[in-house]
Amino acid sequence: MKDSERSKAPGATIIRYIDVVKRYGDFTALSGVSLDVHAGEVVCLIGPSGSGKSTLLRCTNGLETIDGGDIEFEGARLARDERGLRAMRQRMGMVFQSFELFPHLTAEQNVAEGPRTVQRTGIAEARRRAMRMLDKVGLADKAANFPSALSGGQQQRVAIARALAMEPDVMLFDEPTSALDPETIGEVLGVMKTLADEGMTMVVVTHEMSFARRVGDWVAVFDAGRIVEEGPPAQIFDRPATVRTRDFLSHLGWNG
Amino acid sequence: MTLDWSVVWQHRDALAAGTATTFLLTVATMAIAVPCGLLVAALRLYGPAPVRALATAYVELFRNLPLILVVYWAYYVLPILTGLGLPALATGLAALSLNVTAYNSETFRAGINSIRRGQVEAAMALGMSRAQALRRIVAPQALRRITPVLASTWVSLFKDTSLVSVIAVAELAYVSMQIRAQSFRVLEMLTAMAAIYWLLGYPQAKLVDWIQRRYAVTE
Repeated sequence: MKDSERSKAPGATIIRYIDVVKRYGDFTALSGVSLDVHAGEVVCLIGPSGSGKSTLLRCTNGLETIDGGDIEFEGARLARDERGLRAMRQRMGMVFQSFELFPHLTAEQNVAEGPRTVQRTGIAEARRRAMRMLDKVGLADKAANFPSALSGGQQQRVAIARALAMEPDVMLFDEPTSALDPETIGEVLGVMKTLADEGMTMVVVTHEMSFARRVGDWVAVFDAGRIVEEGPPAQIFDRPATVRTRDFLSHLGWNG
Repeated sequence: MTLDWSVVWQHRDALAAGTATTFLLTVATMAIAVPCGLLVAALRLYGPAPVRALATAYVELFRNLPLILVVYWAYYVLPILTGLGLPALATGLAALSLNVTAYNSETFRAGINSIRRGQVEAAMALGMSRAQALRRIVAPQALRRITPVLASTWVSLFKDTSLVSVIAVAELAYVSMQIRAQSFRVLEMLTAMAAIYWLLGYPQAKLVDWIQRRYAVTE
Protein backbone atom coordinates (compact mmCIF):
# COMPACT_ATOMS: atom_id res chain seq x y z
CA MET A 1 0.00 0.00 0.00
CA LYS A 2 1.12 3.49 -0.74
CA ASP A 3 1.10 6.23 1.86
CA SER A 4 -1.23 8.22 -0.37
CA GLU A 5 -3.97 5.71 0.33
CA ARG A 6 -3.82 6.30 4.07
CA SER A 7 -6.78 8.10 5.57
CA LYS A 8 -4.83 10.90 7.20
CA ALA A 9 -2.02 12.88 5.72
CA PRO A 10 0.79 10.81 7.19
CA GLY A 11 3.22 12.42 9.58
CA ALA A 12 6.80 11.35 9.98
CA THR A 13 7.45 7.64 10.39
CA ILE A 14 7.62 6.95 14.13
CA ILE A 15 8.03 3.19 14.12
CA ARG A 16 9.43 1.22 11.22
CA TYR A 17 9.50 -2.58 11.31
CA ILE A 18 11.93 -3.94 8.74
CA ASP A 19 11.70 -7.65 7.98
CA VAL A 20 11.41 -8.53 11.68
CA VAL A 21 12.04 -12.17 12.61
CA LYS A 22 11.35 -13.69 16.01
CA ARG A 23 11.82 -17.35 16.96
CA TYR A 24 11.04 -19.30 20.11
CA GLY A 25 13.17 -22.42 19.75
CA ASP A 26 11.89 -24.17 16.64
CA PHE A 27 8.78 -22.03 16.44
CA THR A 28 8.94 -18.96 14.22
CA ALA A 29 6.59 -16.35 15.69
CA LEU A 30 7.44 -13.62 13.17
CA SER A 31 8.88 -14.48 9.79
CA GLY A 32 9.78 -11.19 8.18
CA VAL A 33 7.31 -8.49 9.16
CA SER A 34 7.61 -5.01 7.68
CA LEU A 35 5.28 -2.17 8.66
CA ASP A 36 5.39 1.61 9.07
CA VAL A 37 3.63 3.57 11.79
CA HIS A 38 3.33 7.31 11.20
CA ALA A 39 2.85 10.12 13.69
CA GLY A 40 -0.76 10.58 14.73
CA GLU A 41 -1.86 7.31 13.22
CA VAL A 42 -3.84 4.49 14.83
CA VAL A 43 -2.52 1.21 13.43
CA CYS A 44 -4.54 -1.88 14.37
CA LEU A 45 -2.98 -5.33 14.25
CA ILE A 46 -5.59 -8.03 13.78
CA GLY A 47 -5.51 -11.74 13.06
CA PRO A 48 -6.02 -15.09 14.72
CA SER A 49 -4.46 -15.95 18.10
CA GLY A 50 -0.82 -16.95 17.79
CA SER A 51 -0.36 -15.14 14.51
CA GLY A 52 2.40 -12.93 15.91
CA LYS A 53 0.69 -9.58 16.43
CA SER A 54 1.31 -9.43 20.20
CA THR A 55 4.86 -10.64 19.68
CA LEU A 56 5.52 -7.76 17.28
CA LEU A 57 4.15 -5.30 19.86
CA ARG A 58 6.35 -6.76 22.59
CA CYS A 59 9.40 -6.48 20.33
CA THR A 60 8.62 -2.79 19.80
CA ASN A 61 9.71 -1.79 23.31
CA GLY A 62 12.24 -4.57 23.70
CA LEU A 63 10.29 -6.81 26.09
CA GLU A 64 11.23 -9.45 23.51
CA THR A 65 14.45 -9.36 21.51
CA ILE A 66 14.32 -9.90 17.77
CA ASP A 67 16.28 -12.56 15.91
CA GLY A 68 16.40 -10.84 12.55
CA GLY A 69 15.52 -7.63 10.72
CA ASP A 70 15.33 -4.28 12.48
CA ILE A 71 13.01 -1.96 14.32
CA GLU A 72 13.49 1.79 14.09
CA PHE A 73 11.90 4.13 16.59
CA GLU A 74 11.84 7.87 15.86
CA GLY A 75 14.56 7.45 13.27
CA ALA A 76 16.97 5.45 15.43
CA ARG A 77 17.58 1.74 15.59
CA LEU A 78 15.95 0.17 18.65
CA ALA A 79 18.61 0.06 21.36
CA ARG A 80 20.06 -3.32 22.24
CA ASP A 81 21.60 -2.22 25.54
CA GLU A 82 19.61 -1.79 28.75
CA ARG A 83 20.29 1.92 29.17
CA GLY A 84 19.32 2.83 25.62
CA LEU A 85 16.27 0.61 25.78
CA ARG A 86 15.12 2.26 29.00
CA ALA A 87 15.34 5.69 27.39
CA MET A 88 13.24 4.52 24.43
CA ARG A 89 10.66 2.78 26.64
CA GLN A 90 9.97 6.07 28.38
CA ARG A 91 8.68 7.40 25.05
CA MET A 92 6.50 4.31 24.41
CA GLY A 93 3.57 3.70 26.73
CA MET A 94 2.35 0.13 26.98
CA VAL A 95 -1.00 -1.28 28.04
CA PHE A 96 -1.27 -5.00 28.80
CA GLN A 97 -4.12 -7.46 28.34
CA SER A 98 -4.03 -8.33 32.05
CA PHE A 99 -3.66 -4.66 33.18
CA GLU A 100 -0.64 -5.41 35.42
CA LEU A 101 -1.44 -2.61 37.81
CA PHE A 102 0.77 -2.71 40.90
CA PRO A 103 -1.54 -4.24 43.53
CA HIS A 104 0.31 -2.74 46.51
CA LEU A 105 -0.18 0.83 45.27
CA THR A 106 -3.32 2.95 44.98
CA ALA A 107 -4.59 4.08 41.59
CA GLU A 108 -2.87 7.44 42.06
CA GLN A 109 0.40 5.85 43.19
CA ASN A 110 0.28 3.48 40.21
CA VAL A 111 0.07 6.42 37.83
CA ALA A 112 2.66 8.48 39.72
CA GLU A 113 5.17 5.61 39.89
CA GLY A 114 6.70 6.13 36.43
CA PRO A 115 7.24 9.89 36.68
CA ARG A 116 8.46 9.51 40.24
CA THR A 117 10.88 6.58 39.92
CA VAL A 118 11.95 6.80 36.28
CA GLN A 119 11.72 10.48 35.40
CA ARG A 120 12.48 11.65 38.95
CA THR A 121 9.99 14.51 38.73
CA GLY A 122 9.66 14.74 42.50
CA ILE A 123 6.63 13.50 44.39
CA ALA A 124 4.53 16.66 44.09
CA GLU A 125 4.82 16.83 40.30
CA ALA A 126 4.28 13.06 39.97
CA ARG A 127 1.05 13.34 41.99
CA ARG A 128 -0.15 16.33 39.97
CA ARG A 129 0.45 14.42 36.78
CA ALA A 130 -1.24 11.31 38.19
CA MET A 131 -4.38 13.27 39.10
CA ARG A 132 -4.45 14.91 35.68
CA MET A 133 -4.21 11.54 33.93
CA LEU A 134 -6.78 9.88 36.19
CA ASP A 135 -9.10 12.78 35.44
CA LYS A 136 -8.50 12.25 31.74
CA VAL A 137 -9.63 8.59 31.96
CA GLY A 138 -12.57 9.59 34.16
CA LEU A 139 -11.31 8.07 37.41
CA ALA A 140 -10.18 11.04 39.51
CA ASP A 141 -12.66 9.94 42.19
CA LYS A 142 -10.97 6.52 42.43
CA ALA A 143 -7.46 7.91 43.07
CA ALA A 144 -7.25 6.46 46.59
CA ASN A 145 -8.57 3.01 45.62
CA PHE A 146 -6.35 -0.01 45.39
CA PRO A 147 -6.64 -1.99 42.13
CA SER A 148 -8.45 -4.82 43.94
CA ALA A 149 -11.30 -2.40 44.62
CA LEU A 150 -11.71 -1.45 40.95
CA SER A 151 -13.59 -3.19 38.15
CA GLY A 152 -11.65 -4.61 35.23
CA GLY A 153 -12.58 -1.69 33.01
CA GLN A 154 -11.51 0.78 35.68
CA GLN A 155 -8.22 -1.06 36.22
CA GLN A 156 -7.46 -0.90 32.52
CA ARG A 157 -8.25 2.83 32.43
CA VAL A 158 -5.83 3.35 35.34
CA ALA A 159 -3.27 1.32 33.38
CA ILE A 160 -3.78 3.66 30.41
CA ALA A 161 -3.35 6.66 32.72
CA ARG A 162 -0.17 5.08 34.11
CA ALA A 163 1.30 4.79 30.60
CA LEU A 164 0.18 8.33 29.66
CA ALA A 165 1.79 9.82 32.77
CA MET A 166 5.19 9.25 31.16
CA GLU A 167 4.04 11.60 28.35
CA PRO A 168 4.96 9.09 25.64
CA ASP A 169 5.09 9.72 21.89
CA VAL A 170 3.48 6.35 21.10
CA MET A 171 1.01 4.11 22.91
CA LEU A 172 1.18 0.33 22.47
CA PHE A 173 -1.99 -1.60 23.35
CA ASP A 174 -1.76 -5.38 23.70
CA GLU A 175 -5.33 -6.73 23.49
CA PRO A 176 -6.49 -4.14 26.03
CA THR A 177 -10.08 -5.39 26.21
CA SER A 178 -9.60 -9.17 25.90
CA ALA A 179 -9.67 -9.78 29.66
CA LEU A 180 -12.69 -7.55 30.28
CA ASP A 181 -16.36 -8.25 30.92
CA PRO A 182 -18.42 -7.24 27.89
CA GLU A 183 -20.11 -4.40 29.75
CA THR A 184 -16.81 -2.68 30.62
CA ILE A 185 -15.17 -3.00 27.18
CA GLY A 186 -16.92 0.14 25.96
CA GLU A 187 -15.46 2.44 28.62
CA VAL A 188 -11.90 1.37 27.74
CA LEU A 189 -12.45 1.69 23.99
CA GLY A 190 -14.00 5.11 24.68
CA VAL A 191 -10.82 6.31 26.40
CA MET A 192 -8.74 4.94 23.51
CA LYS A 193 -10.96 6.71 20.97
CA THR A 194 -10.47 10.01 22.83
CA LEU A 195 -6.71 9.50 22.74
CA ALA A 196 -6.84 8.77 19.02
CA ASP A 197 -8.92 11.91 18.42
CA GLU A 198 -6.30 13.94 20.28
CA GLY A 199 -3.72 12.73 17.77
CA MET A 200 -1.87 10.12 19.84
CA THR A 201 0.09 7.64 17.76
CA MET A 202 -1.20 4.19 18.65
CA VAL A 203 -0.42 0.59 17.78
CA VAL A 204 -3.32 -1.57 18.89
CA VAL A 205 -3.44 -5.37 18.92
CA THR A 206 -7.14 -6.08 19.10
CA HIS A 207 -10.00 -8.46 18.45
CA GLU A 208 -12.48 -5.57 18.50
CA MET A 209 -13.17 -5.28 14.79
CA SER A 210 -15.62 -2.42 15.17
CA PHE A 211 -12.92 -0.42 16.99
CA ALA A 212 -10.38 -1.18 14.25
CA ARG A 213 -12.96 -0.17 11.69
CA ARG A 214 -14.13 3.05 13.35
CA VAL A 215 -10.94 4.32 14.96
CA GLY A 216 -8.13 2.69 12.99
CA ASP A 217 -6.35 4.60 10.25
CA TRP A 218 -4.51 1.54 9.06
CA VAL A 219 -5.09 -2.15 9.63
CA ALA A 220 -2.55 -4.97 9.29
CA VAL A 221 -3.84 -8.54 9.12
CA PHE A 222 -1.54 -11.18 10.62
CA ASP A 223 -1.46 -14.85 9.86
CA ALA A 224 1.21 -17.37 10.85
CA GLY A 225 3.86 -14.76 11.63
CA ARG A 226 3.32 -12.63 8.54
CA ILE A 227 1.28 -9.63 7.48
CA VAL A 228 -0.99 -11.06 4.80
CA GLU A 229 -2.71 -7.79 4.02
CA GLU A 230 -2.61 -4.18 5.14
CA GLY A 231 -4.59 -1.15 4.23
CA PRO A 232 -7.18 1.38 5.37
CA PRO A 233 -10.07 -0.16 7.33
CA ALA A 234 -12.54 0.36 4.50
CA GLN A 235 -10.46 -1.87 2.28
CA ILE A 236 -9.74 -4.56 4.88
CA PHE A 237 -13.28 -4.87 6.09
CA ASP A 238 -15.27 -4.19 2.90
CA ARG A 239 -13.01 -5.34 0.10
CA PRO A 240 -10.47 -7.75 1.61
CA ALA A 241 -7.97 -8.66 -1.06
CA THR A 242 -6.81 -12.00 0.33
CA VAL A 243 -8.54 -15.27 1.18
CA ARG A 244 -6.80 -15.25 4.57
CA THR A 245 -8.37 -11.93 5.53
CA ARG A 246 -11.80 -13.00 4.29
CA ASP A 247 -11.55 -16.29 6.21
CA PHE A 248 -10.46 -14.55 9.40
CA LEU A 249 -13.23 -11.96 9.23
CA SER A 250 -15.93 -14.51 8.39
CA HIS A 251 -14.81 -16.64 11.39
CA LEU A 252 -15.53 -13.62 13.56
CA GLY A 253 -18.94 -13.27 11.97
CA TRP A 254 -17.92 -10.01 10.33
CA ASN A 255 -20.08 -9.27 7.35
CA GLY A 256 -19.15 -5.73 6.47
CA MET B 1 3.30 -39.18 94.99
CA THR B 2 3.30 -35.66 96.39
CA LEU B 3 4.00 -32.64 94.30
CA ASP B 4 5.85 -29.67 95.66
CA TRP B 5 5.37 -26.62 93.42
CA SER B 6 7.35 -24.34 95.70
CA VAL B 7 10.47 -25.38 93.81
CA VAL B 8 9.28 -23.33 90.84
CA TRP B 9 8.84 -20.17 92.89
CA GLN B 10 12.17 -20.70 94.67
CA HIS B 11 14.00 -20.68 91.35
CA ARG B 12 11.98 -17.87 89.78
CA ASP B 13 15.03 -15.67 89.20
CA ALA B 14 16.90 -18.40 87.36
CA LEU B 15 13.82 -19.24 85.30
CA ALA B 16 13.31 -15.55 84.47
CA ALA B 17 16.93 -15.26 83.39
CA GLY B 18 16.57 -18.41 81.25
CA THR B 19 13.42 -17.01 79.64
CA ALA B 20 15.23 -13.77 78.88
CA THR B 21 18.04 -15.73 77.20
CA THR B 22 15.48 -17.64 75.13
CA PHE B 23 14.02 -14.36 73.90
CA LEU B 24 17.47 -12.93 73.28
CA LEU B 25 18.42 -16.00 71.20
CA THR B 26 15.20 -15.75 69.16
CA VAL B 27 15.58 -12.03 68.46
CA ALA B 28 19.32 -12.22 67.74
CA THR B 29 18.92 -15.23 65.44
CA MET B 30 16.21 -13.48 63.41
CA ALA B 31 18.22 -10.26 63.36
CA ILE B 32 21.02 -12.23 61.69
CA ALA B 33 18.92 -14.65 59.61
CA VAL B 34 16.68 -12.08 57.89
CA PRO B 35 19.39 -9.99 56.20
CA CYS B 36 21.59 -13.06 55.61
CA GLY B 37 18.62 -14.98 54.20
CA LEU B 38 17.90 -12.08 51.86
CA LEU B 39 21.53 -12.07 50.74
CA VAL B 40 21.56 -15.84 50.10
CA ALA B 41 18.26 -15.60 48.19
CA ALA B 42 19.67 -12.77 46.06
CA LEU B 43 22.82 -14.79 45.34
CA ARG B 44 20.70 -17.79 44.29
CA LEU B 45 18.44 -15.69 42.06
CA TYR B 46 20.84 -13.22 40.52
CA GLY B 47 24.39 -14.43 41.21
CA PRO B 48 26.79 -15.88 38.62
CA ALA B 49 26.53 -19.67 38.18
CA PRO B 50 29.26 -20.76 40.64
CA VAL B 51 27.94 -18.43 43.37
CA ARG B 52 24.42 -19.71 42.72
CA ALA B 53 25.60 -23.29 43.09
CA LEU B 54 27.43 -22.50 46.32
CA ALA B 55 24.41 -20.75 47.81
CA THR B 56 22.15 -23.65 46.78
CA ALA B 57 24.52 -26.16 48.37
CA TYR B 58 24.51 -24.18 51.62
CA VAL B 59 20.71 -23.99 51.73
CA GLU B 60 20.16 -27.65 50.91
CA LEU B 61 22.77 -28.73 53.46
CA PHE B 62 21.44 -26.79 56.43
CA ARG B 63 17.77 -27.20 55.57
CA ASN B 64 18.10 -30.95 55.60
CA LEU B 65 20.25 -31.51 58.70
CA PRO B 66 18.62 -31.95 62.11
CA LEU B 67 19.13 -28.73 64.03
CA ILE B 68 20.51 -30.56 67.05
CA LEU B 69 23.25 -32.01 64.85
CA VAL B 70 24.15 -28.52 63.66
CA VAL B 71 24.30 -27.38 67.29
CA TYR B 72 26.74 -30.16 68.23
CA TRP B 73 28.69 -29.58 65.04
CA ALA B 74 29.04 -25.88 65.83
CA TYR B 75 30.15 -26.72 69.35
CA TYR B 76 32.95 -29.08 68.29
CA VAL B 77 33.93 -27.78 64.86
CA LEU B 78 33.63 -23.97 65.09
CA PRO B 79 36.51 -23.63 67.61
CA ILE B 80 38.74 -25.72 65.31
CA LEU B 81 37.72 -23.74 62.22
CA THR B 82 38.05 -20.31 63.79
CA GLY B 83 40.74 -21.03 66.32
CA LEU B 84 38.60 -19.21 68.89
CA GLY B 85 37.10 -20.56 72.07
CA LEU B 86 33.61 -19.20 71.49
CA PRO B 87 31.25 -18.87 74.44
CA ALA B 88 28.34 -21.34 74.40
CA LEU B 89 25.79 -18.58 73.72
CA ALA B 90 27.65 -17.42 70.60
CA THR B 91 28.04 -21.01 69.42
CA GLY B 92 24.31 -21.65 69.87
CA LEU B 93 23.49 -18.41 68.09
CA ALA B 94 25.73 -19.40 65.18
CA ALA B 95 24.05 -22.82 64.85
CA LEU B 96 20.55 -21.37 64.97
CA SER B 97 21.48 -18.63 62.49
CA LEU B 98 22.94 -21.09 60.00
CA ASN B 99 19.72 -23.10 60.10
CA VAL B 100 17.21 -20.23 60.01
CA THR B 101 19.16 -18.32 57.35
CA ALA B 102 18.73 -21.34 55.07
CA TYR B 103 14.99 -21.41 55.74
CA ASN B 104 14.57 -17.65 55.35
CA SER B 105 16.45 -17.59 52.06
CA GLU B 106 13.98 -20.13 50.69
CA THR B 107 11.11 -18.01 51.95
CA PHE B 108 12.50 -14.87 50.27
CA ARG B 109 13.23 -16.73 47.06
CA ALA B 110 9.73 -18.20 46.90
CA GLY B 111 8.23 -14.78 47.65
CA ILE B 112 10.15 -13.10 44.83
CA ASN B 113 9.34 -15.93 42.41
CA SER B 114 5.65 -15.75 43.29
CA ILE B 115 5.30 -12.28 41.76
CA ARG B 116 4.21 -12.85 38.20
CA ARG B 117 6.40 -11.84 35.28
CA GLY B 118 3.91 -9.30 34.00
CA GLN B 119 4.58 -7.08 37.00
CA VAL B 120 8.27 -6.78 36.11
CA GLU B 121 7.36 -6.24 32.46
CA ALA B 122 4.94 -3.45 33.40
CA ALA B 123 7.67 -1.81 35.47
CA MET B 124 10.23 -2.17 32.70
CA ALA B 125 7.75 -0.86 30.11
CA LEU B 126 7.71 2.35 32.16
CA GLY B 127 11.47 2.53 31.72
CA MET B 128 12.54 1.12 35.08
CA SER B 129 15.79 -0.80 35.41
CA ARG B 130 15.66 -4.36 36.74
CA ALA B 131 16.94 -3.14 40.09
CA GLN B 132 14.24 -0.45 40.28
CA ALA B 133 11.56 -2.98 39.36
CA LEU B 134 12.80 -5.30 42.10
CA ARG B 135 12.95 -2.55 44.73
CA ARG B 136 9.77 -0.64 43.91
CA ILE B 137 7.45 -3.34 42.55
CA VAL B 138 8.56 -6.90 43.35
CA ALA B 139 10.05 -6.57 46.85
CA PRO B 140 7.10 -4.74 48.48
CA GLN B 141 4.63 -7.31 47.13
CA ALA B 142 6.87 -10.27 48.00
CA LEU B 143 7.36 -8.95 51.54
CA ARG B 144 3.62 -8.85 52.11
CA ARG B 145 3.28 -12.41 50.93
CA ILE B 146 6.08 -13.82 53.06
CA THR B 147 5.36 -11.91 56.29
CA PRO B 148 3.13 -14.74 57.56
CA VAL B 149 5.80 -17.31 56.71
CA LEU B 150 8.49 -15.31 58.51
CA ALA B 151 6.16 -15.00 61.49
CA SER B 152 5.61 -18.74 61.75
CA THR B 153 9.36 -19.32 61.37
CA TRP B 154 9.70 -16.99 64.35
CA VAL B 155 7.30 -19.09 66.46
CA SER B 156 9.12 -22.32 65.53
CA LEU B 157 12.45 -20.70 66.31
CA PHE B 158 11.22 -19.58 69.73
CA LYS B 159 10.72 -23.25 70.66
CA ASP B 160 13.74 -24.58 68.76
CA THR B 161 16.11 -22.41 70.80
CA SER B 162 15.65 -25.12 73.47
CA LEU B 163 17.95 -27.36 71.40
CA VAL B 164 21.01 -25.29 72.29
CA SER B 165 20.56 -26.52 75.88
CA VAL B 166 22.65 -29.53 74.82
CA ILE B 167 25.74 -27.31 74.72
CA ALA B 168 24.90 -25.69 78.07
CA VAL B 169 23.53 -22.37 76.88
CA ALA B 170 21.60 -21.11 79.90
CA GLU B 171 18.26 -20.58 78.21
CA LEU B 172 14.89 -21.66 79.58
CA ALA B 173 15.16 -25.39 78.81
CA TYR B 174 18.69 -25.71 80.14
CA VAL B 175 17.88 -23.80 83.32
CA SER B 176 14.77 -25.93 83.94
CA MET B 177 16.70 -29.15 83.43
CA GLN B 178 19.41 -27.97 85.80
CA ILE B 179 16.89 -27.19 88.53
CA ARG B 180 15.25 -30.55 87.92
CA ALA B 181 18.57 -32.35 88.29
CA GLN B 182 19.39 -30.55 91.54
CA SER B 183 15.95 -30.73 93.17
CA PHE B 184 14.75 -34.08 91.76
CA ARG B 185 11.41 -32.32 91.21
CA VAL B 186 11.05 -33.76 87.71
CA LEU B 187 7.31 -33.42 87.11
CA GLU B 188 7.08 -29.98 88.65
CA MET B 189 9.94 -28.57 86.60
CA LEU B 190 8.87 -30.14 83.31
CA THR B 191 5.34 -28.85 83.86
CA ALA B 192 6.60 -25.38 84.76
CA MET B 193 8.82 -25.33 81.68
CA ALA B 194 5.92 -26.45 79.47
CA ALA B 195 3.68 -23.78 81.03
CA ILE B 196 6.21 -21.00 80.41
CA TYR B 197 6.87 -22.03 76.78
CA TRP B 198 3.17 -22.36 76.10
CA LEU B 199 2.11 -19.12 77.78
CA LEU B 200 4.77 -17.20 75.86
CA GLY B 201 4.37 -19.12 72.60
CA TYR B 202 0.58 -19.10 72.35
CA PRO B 203 0.16 -15.31 72.06
CA GLN B 204 2.91 -15.26 69.43
CA ALA B 205 1.08 -17.94 67.44
CA LYS B 206 -2.14 -15.94 67.73
CA LEU B 207 -0.25 -12.89 66.52
CA VAL B 208 0.90 -14.91 63.51
CA ASP B 209 -2.72 -15.84 62.73
CA TRP B 210 -3.63 -12.17 62.90
CA ILE B 211 -0.73 -11.20 60.62
CA GLN B 212 -1.82 -13.87 58.13
CA ARG B 213 -5.30 -12.39 57.98
CA ARG B 214 -4.06 -8.81 57.96
CA TYR B 215 -1.62 -9.29 55.09
CA ALA B 216 -3.70 -11.63 52.96
CA VAL B 217 -2.99 -10.46 49.41
CA THR B 218 -5.98 -9.32 47.44
CA GLU B 219 -5.59 -8.86 43.73
